[in-house]
Amino acid sequence: MVATQLLVGMAEIQVAKEGPLFVCLGLGSCIGLAAYDPVAKVAGMVHVMLPAAFADKPVDKPGKFADTGVPHLLEQMARLGASRSRILVAMAGGAQVFNFGSGSAGKLDIGRRNADAVEAQVQALGLRCLGKDVGGNQGRTMTFDSGSGLIKVRTVTSMERALCNLKGS
Amino acid sequence: MDGNAPEFNAIQISCLSEMANIGVGHAATAIAQMTNKPFQMSVPTVRSVELEAIPLMVGAVEELTVGIYMPVDGDVPGHMAFLFPWRSAQAFWRLLLGQAPDSPEQIGELEASVMLEVGNIMNSSFLNAISEMCGLPIHATPPLLAVEMAAAILQAIVLEATTTDSHALSIETKVSCEEEQAEGYFLFIPTLGGLKRLFSSLGLPEVA
Repeated sequence: MVATQLLVGMAEIQVAKEGPLFVCLGLGSCIGLAAYDPVAKVAGMVHVMLPAAFADKPVDKPGKFADTGVPHLLEQMARLGASRSRILVAMAGGAQVFNFGSGSAGKLDIGRRNADAVEAQVQALGLRCLGKDVGGNQGRTMTFDSGSGLIKVRTVTSMERALCNLKGS
Repeated sequence: MDGNAPEFNAIQISCLSEMANIGVGHAATAIAQMTNKPFQMSVPTVRSVELEAIPLMVGAVEELTVGIYMPVDGDVPGHMAFLFPWRSAQAFWRLLLGQAPDSPEQIGELEASVMLEVGNIMNSSFLNAISEMCGLPIHATPPLLAVEMAAAILQAIVLEATTTDSHALSIETKVSCEEEQAEGYFLFIPTLGGLKRLFSSLGLPEVA
């Protein structure tokens, strides 16, 4: 049976009882964070764009920022019965896509800052991270099959490869 | 559609389309002169969209794409990019260098600088045309190049747009050369402040 596909667009948070295939397409400097509670069988994914919410602007979409997106993902999963202490996560993304041209070095290094910010959230919230594929220059498509628990990452030049399995095994 | 997106009236949108049309015409001429090949352009589409939706607007989101991104300074600041599929990029390389890399790993300094120049010329001629029409100084800053999945390139640009003046209006158009099967897409995301200055320079009413 083909699993339902849940496309997680920029700044979006998707949660569901296990089953669907969560997809973050073409993660550049953004981060995709997949989360799963193996007991409650609740899965979710957030597509974070920036490290932290702007101090001077209201947060229109909590999924946009690492410091609001990760807590919101957990909150939405909790509503389906997930418990933070059991949640396992995996993350991918945070690349520097524009790697040619004068001033490209360092200018658009938001990918690394995103990865650091998401990781800080994961640690602060006491989540166990089973797999991480961040940094570099390559954009990534990340999929999370919440039926099997398998997290896969593919880039434009490499074959799809398994990153980890949020159901253990 | 974002409920918070500023609405523009029909006159403003059609005026922008017309300006973009002329801008793209200049860009097509510039690339034709550079390559000695005829280039056609499609009528630009001006859309009020949510920034976050832009990466998924292109058809083949995971397709290998070459993107040249230029932040725009001056009175109408914003973000501008010229994107083309890998095969079209290879056609550009063949036109300009006589040969093309087979894969992204083969892109050296020469290939990269040629591509940056293509983007530079296209984007600058577009901006110069707009600048002359409205009498406002607008200039492009040095280009950056990415060879990536289309969605990843667009995401990186949207991200930059979000950190400045998040605003949701895009101008897209297609530039193509039938003879060489080369085509590319323009994307211009002006900031809200820049758009207001643009409209007022043309004597158009304020955004409602």
